Amino acid sequence: MSIPAGLKYSKDHEWVRIEGDTATFGISDHAQEALGDIVFVELPEVGRAITAGDAYAVVESVKAVSDVYAPVTGEVIEVNEGLEAEPEKVNTEPYGAGWIVKVKVAADVDTSHLMSDDEYNTFLEE
Amino acid sequence: MAVLLKTPLFDEHVALGGKIVPFAGYELPVQYSDGALKEYTAVREGEAGIFDITHMGQVRVTGVDSLKFLQFVTTNDVAALVDGQVQYSALLNAQGTFIDDITTYKTNDTAYYLCINAANRHKDVAHLQAQATKFDVVVSDESDATTLLALQGAKAQTALQNLVDVDLENIGYYKFAEVQVLGVDGIVSRTGYTGEDGFEIYIPNAIAVDVWKALLNHGAVPIGLAARDMLRTEMGYALYGHEISDGVTPVEAKLMWITKLAKGDFIGKAAVETRKAEGAQKRLLALKLTDRGIPREHYKVFVDGVESGEITSGMHSPLAGGGVALAYVKPEHVTEGQLSVEIRGKLVAAERTTTPFVRSNVRKV
Repeated sequence: MSIPAGLKYSKDHEWVRIEGDTATFGISDHAQEALGDIVFVELPEVGRAITAGDAYAVVESVKAVSDVYAPVTGEVIEVNEGLEAEPEKVNTEPYGAGWIVKVKVAADVDTSHLMSDDEYNTFLEE
Repeated sequence: MAVLLKTPLFDEHVALGGKIVPFAGYELPVQYSDGALKEYTAVREGEAGIFDITHMGQVRVTGVDSLKFLQFVTTNDVAALVDGQVQYSALLNAQGTFIDDITTYKTNDTAYYLCINAANRHKDVAHLQAQATKFDVVVSDESDATTLLALQGAKAQTALQNLVDVDLENIGYYKFAEVQVLGVDGIVSRTGYTGEDGFEIYIPNAIAVDVWKALLNHGAVPIGLAARDMLRTEMGYALYGHEISDGVTPVEAKLMWITKLAKGDFIGKAAVETRKAEGAQKRLLALKLTDRGIPREHYKVFVDGVESGEITSGMHSPLAGGGVALAYVKPEHVTEGQLSVEIRGKLVAAERTTTPFVRSNVRKV
């Protein structure tokens, strides 16, 4: 189970990487493993304002449809269009080519409800 | 909820990384460690996939009235069967709706074998035994003693040949033979639920693990419920609880080809004839999305922007390259109007197609 350092994680198994005013969202290795083979990703519109906790995307595996929840608040500035042709990247590279959206965030964006890699690891073990 | 049952292969599934889920009263693997897509691909692209379908039920019918009895309780024409032949058929109630869909195996005029759905087993057996009182037959439920494996895919025959005492080449499509499997009496039929060549193998529970391991040693790949459902949906095969149920007759379900109205009286016949004459309220339709999305069970189908029915089975078909589904719609919409499927509040365009959704590779004879 891969849990890279430097990212923050939600209890819904999303990750966020914050660089300046840009946050990149995806789902964790644990989440993709639990979902199984992803065959479809429904992406939000660029420009959509999303609040932490909102369902902003949908991933569909062979058997299940699952909402993906925003770990922080912001506005969608880019979506990973590569997932339309290769949704399996969410399985194979959940922290890399399987990213879902990039979001513009405020300088004081609230991440107090999120976990560090160590905390997320502990959370998964509990 | 009753306690979930385990098949004799439960420990094997766990050892192979099977993700166990409750299904039809059993604990069965939805997939193994490689995942459903790889399993699906193995079966479609030339391997042999092995499926534990022990949850299916088996009923033996014996006695001098066996033919007469089965003509009365099943929809298809049992008299058309030769010894060693299998037939897709159904059990209807007096209202003409489905109690179950089944396969009928004919050993000879006084001995038959039925394969029935797990979820319907007790209902089917009670129905058959109640009807049997009017005939000189014995109906025995052999489900608990029998392990059923499906071995499907281009390499199925090669993998299975090592374990049996007959030349499998001589078992044609929808034919079966009583054979020795690892030296023990069993039944092998060239049947399946995937659209690939392959077999279904009925064996006593005592040799289930040995046969399973021997087939794996001969290259078979274990396949879970998720890939099994993908494979059957791509063929457009009906599944009880989805396309067929006690809410529809063969007229709606496009199963008049297994309902032989000319064979003589049978349970449900009069109701089916009435339904056929009056016309059905809905009919099964095969559709393919022309835009992106996955059509899933219970999603609504619209025609010219107005709701017409709903999906019974749907999937993303890797081979068809998009979303495919079976749906019940109003009868006139089987041929007319612009189709769409409502997915999360949006209408996604679709077009009519035919089943199977992808090429079938079953043997023709």
